[in-house]
Amino acid sequence: MDDQRQAVITIDGLARLIEALREDGFRVIGPTRRDDAIVYDDIETVDDLPAGWTDEQDGGHYRLARRADTALFGYVVGPHSWKRYLHPPLLRLWRAEHSGGTVTMTGGADPAEPQAFLAVRACELHAIAIQDRVFLGGPYVDPHYKARREASFIVAVNCGQAGGTCFCASMKTGPKVGEGYDIALTELLTGEHRFLAEAGSERGAALLARLPRRGAAPADQEEAGAAVAHAEATMGRHMQADGVHDLLMANLEHPRWEDVAGRCLTCGNCTQVCPTCFCATVSDDSDLSGTVSERKRSWASCFSIDFSYIHGGSIRQSGKSRYRQWMTHKLATWHDQFGTSGCVGCGRCITWCPTGIDITEEVRAIRGVGDGVA
Amino acid sequence: MDRRTIKVDYLARVEGEGALRVAIEGGILREVELRIFEPPRFFEAFMRGRSCMEAPDIAARICGICPIAYQMSAVHAIEDALGVTITPAIRALRRLIYCGEWIESHTLHIYMLHAPDFLGYEGAIEMAKDHGEVVRQGLDLKKVGNELLAVVGGREIHPVNVRVGGFYRAPTKRELRSLVPALERARDIAHATVRWTAGLDFPDLERDYEFVSVGKAGEYPFNEGRIVSNKGLDIPVTEYDRNFAESHVRHSNALHSHLQGRPYLTGPLARYSLNSDFLSPLCRQAAKEAGLGPTCNNPFRSIIIRAVEVLYACDEALRLIGEYEPPEESFVPTPARAGTGYAATEAPRGMLYHRYKLDADSSILDAKIVPPTSQNQPSIEDDVREFGGAWLDLPDDQLRHRCEQAIRNHDPCISCATHFLKLDVIRS
Amino acid sequence: MTAKRTASRKPKLAVWKFSSCDGCQLTLLDCEDELLAVAGAIDIAYFPEATRAVVKGPYDLSLVEGSITTPHDAERIHDVRKQSRFLVTIGACATSGGIQALRNFRDVRAFTDIVYAHPEFIDTLATSTAIRQHVNVDFELQGCPINKHQLIELLSAYLNKRRPNIPANSVCMECKQRGTVCVLVRGAASCLGPVTHAGCGAICPAYNRGCYGCFGPKETPNTQALAAELARAGMDERDIQRVFRTFTSNAEPFRQESARHGS
Repeated sequence: MDDQRQAVITIDGLARLIEALREDGFRVIGPTRRDDAIVYDDIETVDDLPAGWTDEQDGGHYRLARRADTALFGYVVGPHSWKRYLHPPLLRLWRAEHSGGTVTMTGGADPAEPQAFLAVRACELHAIAIQDRVFLGGPYVDPHYKARREASFIVAVNCGQAGGTCFCASMKTGPKVGEGYDIALTELLTGEHRFLAEAGSERGAALLARLPRRGAAPADQEEAGAAVAHAEATMGRHMQADGVHDLLMANLEHPRWEDVAGRCLTCGNCTQVCPTCFCATVSDDSDLSGTVSERKRSWASCFSIDFSYIHGGSIRQSGKSRYRQWMTHKLATWHDQFGTSGCVGCGRCITWCPTGIDITEEVRAIRGVGDGVA
Repeated sequence: MDRRTIKVDYLARVEGEGALRVAIEGGILREVELRIFEPPRFFEAFMRGRSCMEAPDIAARICGICPIAYQMSAVHAIEDALGVTITPAIRALRRLIYCGEWIESHTLHIYMLHAPDFLGYEGAIEMAKDHGEVVRQGLDLKKVGNELLAVVGGREIHPVNVRVGGFYRAPTKRELRSLVPALERARDIAHATVRWTAGLDFPDLERDYEFVSVGKAGEYPFNEGRIVSNKGLDIPVTEYDRNFAESHVRHSNALHSHLQGRPYLTGPLARYSLNSDFLSPLCRQAAKEAGLGPTCNNPFRSIIIRAVEVLYACDEALRLIGEYEPPEESFVPTPARAGTGYAATEAPRGMLYHRYKLDADSSILDAKIVPPTSQNQPSIEDDVREFGGAWLDLPDDQLRHRCEQAIRNHDPCISCATHFLKLDVIRS
Repeated sequence: MTAKRTASRKPKLAVWKFSSCDGCQLTLLDCEDELLAVAGAIDIAYFPEATRAVVKGPYDLSLVEGSITTPHDAERIHDVRKQSRFLVTIGACATSGGIQALRNFRDVRAFTDIVYAHPEFIDTLATSTAIRQHVNVDFELQGCPINKHQLIELLSAYLNKRRPNIPANSVCMECKQRGTVCVLVRGAASCLGPVTHAGCGAICPAYNRGCYGCFGPKETPNTQALAAELARAGMDERDIQRVFRTFTSNAEPFRQESARHGS
């Protein structure tokens, strides 16, 4: 049955998908193995994907391990997020040159190069939607984000297993992809190695139609459902998300903040790996002659003392005040500001924290339940 | 009455803090003291108790201009102590990284520290006003050396990538290939530098030096070879201590070194005179066109030899990059064990000797580091003493400048010498 | 507000050396692309490494490299301060005492005996101290060596009368922005990045090794938490002490942390 919106493709089909995107002028970015991790980088062919690899994640711990099979997407999210390609770490906003009494400005949002994100997980789709609200949903639209966002094609992947620090199920952001993708794939490994492919947009359907494919049989759909259910059942972490906003706002002087401050390095790693953290700083560089000036934007972090610098000094001197700021913004005041939680349960902040601070454990401790009790 | 005191309070255009004191009595140069008052930092002492794995990073801080030399001597000596052999690919990378340092350090000296003496300028910035192209060319050349260091070493000053056993990360072929256009351009500039330096005005002053360098290596020496001289010395590095001795003189914070009681010279003049056969054909030809024979005993001409060595470093770097295959492992295993290890490598300024004694857990029990400038101090003083005779009739100002130049010929690196030009000329 | 540069004279720059390896001064000479532009914007009045020419003080901007380790230098720095409108320290030696501050933990007389046959010829202090411990300092540029782009930034900021953009946050920020995979979390190496001042561009983790703290402590570092983590990952007490005692051992947070450990 030839369904425009759903089909089954093999690895050849996936290879063809990548080829077609590149032919269409997209830079394809996806997961690849480098430096003992799965990172996002340029994908030229399907061979660049980390076949047969999986990850083992825990607080402050990330290792790769071999799988028994050759799954191409048999791992969860790594240290990189799609934020790098939508809200880049370093961006020149504009440049000004002063010559002969005239100042010439260049810059603004250049048309972004078309980019295709391959293997976007459900939590990441939600993170992108959250950043859409931040950068596009208010009175001031960020033209750089807008240009890059409009130039992006999304191939999502449903997770077949969850990771050691995953809790998207708790945050209701996965593991099944919701909306916002052009094509979604679910990897199926029993029998033939294949993918259930679903179009989520017109251009997704058009691309799907160009791939060698067959119709999806009930067996395929069942196996896809089972894969996602397996992911849902194997979450490494859990957070009781309802009522977190009020819980935190009512406990701003809880002794747990002091406790976590002892472990927090204020290194900023969590904010850098978080796919929704968006804070940035802007600086003006001038050169030696004073005739050229550039304004640059770069990722910042509320964990830096400079972040809270206002006239007279920084108002968050202690690590405790900075950690509390981060967590209450992410889980509580984000709701007030943007209408949803800021957290998508991807677990990166847990994995990539050198001391393994676990946001789910901190919430439990403030609730006063479980083994996280202060 | 006939006693003249000329002092160079603070030697400029040398690395580090030194001064010169010369006493002339009855028309004869009686005393010459190269005073090193650079504060001693006691590296050999505080290396005791450190892990041998920390040695390359600590030793690098002896000198900001030649940190690679310290890293190379350190890792080779420690590998000797541990009984470890590196692979050919690692060996090649180590020659390559040294090329970067030779280019950067020699070019700094040629254009910025030494050339102003020949052209009559106080320094390169002043020189740039009239010779802008020349100075820019020098800066371009130096930059290429630094780029090579940044790629292979991680950064130009105090590179991070050198470790006992090899490197923390081997560069990819693509990373090295990206340097080729710049190195080819550098090679051209280096060749032009040889021609340009050959045309400078040199006093006809020579001395019968005892040259010492790493040699008999089958190649122009960097990291491996025996220790040889032009007067019959031919020993393995392990016998350095039996032949060379350091002494501590009152006027210098840098120890003086002697070979069987005699002063000797190490550095480009020595290296060239003992190894010129091993230069690449391009360099041998360039040296010949520059009027150099197989040996050179005029220290003022050292500027040409440095230029030839820069040309060699560019040539050698291109050859190594052309043949490069990334190693399987960027470093070989280095299991801990007690032992003593020795190494001598050729820093831009000359032979740099390291000896380490390690404990069973590979901590350093004892370290000995003999920088080239320490070794050259007696010869530098002898140069001023011998050549100074020709300048005694000059007014103090000019005598002072000539003496400084006699010191700058040897590109002394005084911070090294005290890992530990106040010229006092007392005429009577 | 644009800086108005008086056409009358360029600011006078002096570069001073104390106890150091020279690497930070050399960084200025390593700004090959910018050096002549610097010389155009600033009068290099005193820089013995580069020139014999000396224009007498006072100086508008003094860059000071090196630490104080001799009685002579302890006096000389006051002289330098008197002649300098702005005094900026460059590098770990000047900002914290450098590697030679390791003598602060031991008996320097024993050190002198190890290295010198005639220790009576050597006039040295028992400690190596930062310039700040002797005179007021207007700005400190950390690093071993300093980063040449930050040096140019400092000079640009000075000329344009604005604050230098030199963040004091962690090396981790630079690592993450660069896209490097954390060596600590992936178990590749011990790393001081979370407590170390940014500025190098996070080179070491990009070369497969851990940061060894050569830029000194970041603002408000939590060295205790990191040391605990290093211990949990298997680093022994001696190594933890050694890792905090390298090029910035005399910087307060590192000095205190190192004192909490040992064999």
